[in-house]
Amino acid sequence: MSRMTSRQDFIGGLVVIAVAGFALWLAGDLPSGTSGGIGPGTLPKGLAALLGLLGVLLVATSVAKEGSPLERWSIRGPAIILGAVVAFGLTVRPLGLVVAGPLSILVAALAGEEVRWRETTLFGVLMTGFCIGLFKFALGLPVPLAPWLLGY
Amino acid sequence: MLDLVSHLGLGFSTALSPINLFLAFVGCMVGTLIGVLPGVGPIATIAMLMPLTLKVDPTGALIMLAGIYYGAQYGGSTTAILVNIPGEITAVVTTLDGHAMAKKGEAGIALGIAAIGSFFAGTVSTMIIAAIGAPLTRLALVFGPAEYFALMVLGLGLAIVLARGSVLKAVIMVVFGLLLATVGTDLETGQERLTLGIAELSDGVDFAVLAMGVFGIAEILRNIERPETRGVEMGRIGRLLPSREDLRRSFGPIVRATGIGAVLGILPGNGAVLGPFASYALEKKLAADPSRFGKGAIEGVAGPESANNAGAQTAFIPLLTLGIPPNAVMALMVGAMTIHGLIPGPLIMTKHPTLFWGMIASMWIGNLMLLVINLPLIGVWVRLLKVPYRLMFPTILLFCCIGIYSINNNPADVYFTAFFGLVGYVLIKLGLEPAPMLLGFVLGRLMEEKLRQALALSEGSFMTFIERPIAGILLVVALAVMVIAVLPAVRKGREEAFQE
Repeated sequence: MSRMTSRQDFIGGLVVIAVAGFALWLAGDLPSGTSGGIGPGTLPKGLAALLGLLGVLLVATSVAKEGSPLERWSIRGPAIILGAVVAFGLTVRPLGLVVAGPLSILVAALAGEEVRWRETTLFGVLMTGFCIGLFKFALGLPVPLAPWLLGY
Repeated sequence: MLDLVSHLGLGFSTALSPINLFLAFVGCMVGTLIGVLPGVGPIATIAMLMPLTLKVDPTGALIMLAGIYYGAQYGGSTTAILVNIPGEITAVVTTLDGHAMAKKGEAGIALGIAAIGSFFAGTVSTMIIAAIGAPLTRLALVFGPAEYFALMVLGLGLAIVLARGSVLKAVIMVVFGLLLATVGTDLETGQERLTLGIAELSDGVDFAVLAMGVFGIAEILRNIERPETRGVEMGRIGRLLPSREDLRRSFGPIVRATGIGAVLGILPGNGAVLGPFASYALEKKLAADPSRFGKGAIEGVAGPESANNAGAQTAFIPLLTLGIPPNAVMALMVGAMTIHGLIPGPLIMTKHPTLFWGMIASMWIGNLMLLVINLPLIGVWVRLLKVPYRLMFPTILLFCCIGIYSINNNPADVYFTAFFGLVGYVLIKLGLEPAPMLLGFVLGRLMEEKLRQALALSEGSFMTFIERPIAGILLVVALAVMVIAVLPAVRKGREEAFQE
């Protein structure tokens, strides 16, 4: 690739085209329209096609101009954080906030530069206690606390 | 005029009820609290705190959310002045002179003038909303689907023009948002669209989930990459009340900025964000000695802060009168209203007058509260900044999770939030600003509905958008705006304007 290329835009355009293609494929079997109106498939297909076109345009302009290089990507941090969110989702119903709270805080803390186990554990427990007090008791939201122990 | 007085009377009697006062107070407090935290902007703050309002009646909930919103804005300015960290984008300009003032030992005065300017701007914009709310609502009631559709096209066009960065990228994000909005069951035929067979998607993508993912979670993903900035240096705050000379200098900027901010705030997209930038540029041009700017000129704090607050407030106008959210924050308000079974639009004012006027009155009360509660609490906010990020981000994450789960009591929402967090992270890395996407997403559903209604009425003829004069004019203006935006000459000027 030449030096005149904005890699960020180039790859961005490719991603946009991919998304548009995926949407077009998904919308493929939706009826496109009837006389006297537009059908359920008209807009998804039209928008996806437009998006793809714009993606092509982005790729085309990226080659012609100088631009930002691609930023550095990290995988570890985001993976851990998203893992913490998923862990919360997996545990909140069967095990309740008592488990999901400290668990998600502990997992999330792994993403930091240094992990202080004792501090994080203590903090996770305290924070969960605070959240239980706030969301469960003060606000009365129906978040399960500990269904296996308390039945709610 | 008499109408206005009686309406405001109704509003104040609603907003001043003990429970609503309490909710406004709590909203302002927690809004500031979260707003002070770096990397948590107003959108994430509102998304995160939305569950707090689930069990409150709709009026109270909206009053509280509005409080959270102002609080978040205000918190952002506080950190901008004290520690040079803009809590959110509109406070970026404030860091220039605000922090310079703080370095000179005048932090208190900067905070004081920011509060006074904001309060003045808030008062004026509350009156503007009250005055033009009713006429606009009447106008909106005669709008048919074709006019609504055209108006939203214009809105998106303006949002694209006002967006930061490349026009092409803004268009891409708006179209992406529109496409996302088509996910779910088709309104007319009941057919599932783009759902991948996932049952949870048959109602479409949930707005709160999308906003929380793209703004809340993605922010965290981005922030953990940066090394933690340690050792927040804090000078003396000093006295809070500006001197007579300070006030004299600030009066002009505050008045001008209120006007600029109020007008820009009504515009869709980045409007409210542009206010502070425009005001700063104007004051610098008008100043007898522009070189003072950037070195602690009080005008450079008074103006942008007033514009910021004015814009934050007039942004409610399109939402409350037309039911069209002009930006992502207002889109979240739509989400909150829908949760409470309210459909934003012209009918809100006629069907729920206590809610409408109560909310408007509470805006003014909220501004007053911020003035009174914030200045004494500055010490607390500063201490909050010293909490290390390694403890802060897991906490924010937990709040987000609990909040998202509570909206529908569905773990699937939590997974979707994680997914959109990833999407947001990728978009940011690719230099694609997610804000226009959110706007496209919110307007998308409404637009499709209105488009199909209009076509049903016209028996499928697209001519309806041209034959109906108002719709036609709106579409022509939208087209003109877009064309102008890509003209080379204007494009250059636009880039320069954003440079400042």
